[in-house]
Amino acid sequence: MTPASSIGAAVADGLVREAAWRQRRIIKWVVITAICLFVLWLAAWRIGLNFVSMLRGLPHMADVFMRMVPPDFGYMERLIDPTIETIQIAVWGTLLAVIASAPLCLLAAHNTTPHPVIYSITRVFLNLLRSINELIYALILVSAVGLGPYPGVLAIALHATGMLAKFVAEEIEHVNRGPIEALQAAGAGRMQIILMGILPQVLPSLVGYILYRFDVSIRSATVLGLVGAGGLGFSLITTMKMFRYHETAASIVMIILLIMLADWISGRLQKRIL
Amino acid sequence: MSHSGNFPLEQPSLTYFGKAKFLAYTLAAAIFLAWSANSLELNAGELMRSMPVIGRYIARMFPPDWTVLEGLWGPTLDTLCIALWGTVIASIIGLPLGILAAKNMHSPAVIRVGALTILNILRSVSELIWAIFFVAAVGLGPFPGALALGVNFGGILGRLYAEAIENIDPKPHEALRATGANHVQAIMFSVIPQVLPQIVSYNLYWFEVGVRSATVLGMIGAGGIGFVLVTTIRLYEFQETAAILLVILVLVTIIDRASAVLRRAIVG
Amino acid sequence: MYMEKEAALNVAKSSPHETSGQPIISIRNVGKTYANGSVVALSNASFDVQRGEFVVILGPSGAGKSTLLRCVNRLAEPTQGKIFLDGKEITENARELREVRRHIGMVFQHFNLVPRLSVLMNVLSGRLSYRSTWRSFFYSFTKEDRAIALECLEMVALGHKAFQRASTLSGGEQQRVAIARALAQKPTVILADEPVASLDPKIARQVLTYLKEVTHSLGISVICNLHQIDFAREYADRIVGLCDGEKIFDGKASELTDNILKKIYRLNAEDDSDASE
Repeated sequence: MTPASSIGAAVADGLVREAAWRQRRIIKWVVITAICLFVLWLAAWRIGLNFVSMLRGLPHMADVFMRMVPPDFGYMERLIDPTIETIQIAVWGTLLAVIASAPLCLLAAHNTTPHPVIYSITRVFLNLLRSINELIYALILVSAVGLGPYPGVLAIALHATGMLAKFVAEEIEHVNRGPIEALQAAGAGRMQIILMGILPQVLPSLVGYILYRFDVSIRSATVLGLVGAGGLGFSLITTMKMFRYHETAASIVMIILLIMLADWISGRLQKRIL
Repeated sequence: MSHSGNFPLEQPSLTYFGKAKFLAYTLAAAIFLAWSANSLELNAGELMRSMPVIGRYIARMFPPDWTVLEGLWGPTLDTLCIALWGTVIASIIGLPLGILAAKNMHSPAVIRVGALTILNILRSVSELIWAIFFVAAVGLGPFPGALALGVNFGGILGRLYAEAIENIDPKPHEALRATGANHVQAIMFSVIPQVLPQIVSYNLYWFEVGVRSATVLGMIGAGGIGFVLVTTIRLYEFQETAAILLVILVLVTIIDRASAVLRRAIVG
Repeated sequence: MYMEKEAALNVAKSSPHETSGQPIISIRNVGKTYANGSVVALSNASFDVQRGEFVVILGPSGAGKSTLLRCVNRLAEPTQGKIFLDGKEITENARELREVRRHIGMVFQHFNLVPRLSVLMNVLSGRLSYRSTWRSFFYSFTKEDRAIALECLEMVALGHKAFQRASTLSGGEQQRVAIARALAQKPTVILADEPVASLDPKIARQVLTYLKEVTHSLGISVICNLHQIDFAREYADRIVGLCDGEKIFDGKASELTDNILKKIYRLNAEDDSDASE
């Protein structure tokens, strides 16, 4: 045990060091907080966000909201077809993405790519695909091939391909080397290694991710209609433009129901599979 | 490869019933897909016909027209501001709801379910739909964009916060209660320090997502770089479109890197 | 005094240990049945702890040791019996819980420090019960608190690590910080619930030595749950043996015979694994 006198000295010394330490911490937090507040203030000023405009906006929001309730539930019946279309867009968009990413993910993983140059090119390409939003694709595609669900499917497929292929490529890069070496030792060919050594290892996370992607695709498919690419979003924007707010509200309710259903289903499937 | 006795051979083979079920599922899926493809007018002919058109559109994007860059500083800044305030509003909405919704915070069942329902609704309605609503209410501009992002992300963040709170280690909290600290003190010293880094990291990540979303909010008139983008598409100025898309790509990449660095600095 | 008489009776019945004045903790017929009514965690336990005494509660896991300790500072509510701290009953009045807990420090198996806070802040959190809620919002303490916390850290020889994050310390060091946190409460009793169960034997001995020497020099009583017999023999002033929620031994370490041990651990060869968590 340390004698009491030396403890006293150590405590006195500790108090001095503690004061310095505390001061540093306080200064650090004051500086960080000040910077954050300053940046936020600048940003608010830039986009005209302030308390007054917020307050002034409130009655208008209430007004639009009041014109929406109650939703026109009779209109729901006419939303069944767009709802099915939304699901179909999401399913086919995701499916096309799965098909397209099968070769792409192999090219974009450094342990399966045939050449480093191809690896880099594929990676850049996938980044490009990923970083452009579905809606932007949809907007361009609608102007190219016309209104309808078809550009919607392509838009979802393009974005999802970028996401899916990159995810799978990274999974492939993290597989356990052991089984692959065993296969190589047994003289297996490249394709055999991919099918027997890599696929079984990435399959569980792959299935989980595809389900997640499908969930996201459903969400996207509900808004693609805003730019004319079919689905529920199209009903929403057309009724809105005609100021039939009760029908707009019905569309929104339908969208909420659809998304909750998709959430629930993909959650259940994920639990069953994983 | 060696086949030891317990490898696939001894696995129970699928029963006839199991096989029939599997077959039925596959068939049902195939029929659904075929029917969907038919009603979506998705077929080889359509693909063949549209691909050249799409190809021509893409070709018209090159070379990108960099002259638009000059006018892009302002909208880019707007986009960043929308994303920033969107995330801030999202935290303001999400934090209290998240705390109420977390199981281990023991709020009354009615309040917990209420908070969860609100979070679910906010989450389910995409920021674009919220933006349409807010634009209808307060007019065009970045302000409704920030609100829309804030409301939708508030729902997402609230749920993430709730999960973060539910995942904390309850033992330090108990230890503090055992010293005689009261509930609030124990939360300040055990829950907050554990959850704060998570919250910061979620916020940074969703700021990043917010920048991406803010680029499309412009489409429905909520300002920022997306508005310029949509205008160029509508005017068929595809070379400008390409330049703007590349700017967005660079912007998002920079934000991505910066927030990774920040996250490590704050959380690490 | 009534209390003393009852205590003396109890001691006479089970232990020849000398009583020196009023016991600091008196446990009387304490039992705990879990809510569904089927599991009896603890039944009818009675014993006293004297000032400055180091009592080890020995028993296999699941014997009710943890429940017993938790009843003392009421992290668990006993379903029967009474517990007295310094002659005052503490099992009744919920309003004074904070006041009671302030006098009882606790050390846990898994240290239960807040990993992201500094070592000093963790020790300071032992002072929370002395400070107002609004102060805690700013993580602010008085100079006295800071001096006490630093002193407690010095007592477990960790003053030099005061400003590190708790998570950067080794297991043994973390447990010493936890002891310092308990000491910072200025407690009269420290409850230690399997304090060394997740440490290797060498570090475990070091931590127990700190716990014993510091509490001894400050006159703090310790009730310490252990499942290791050798540690119990080495550190205990007195041992209470618990099995299936019942007290079956209460006496000095030297009186702990193999027969009694067998009874505590229901020792058949295949039950051996029960003795370690």
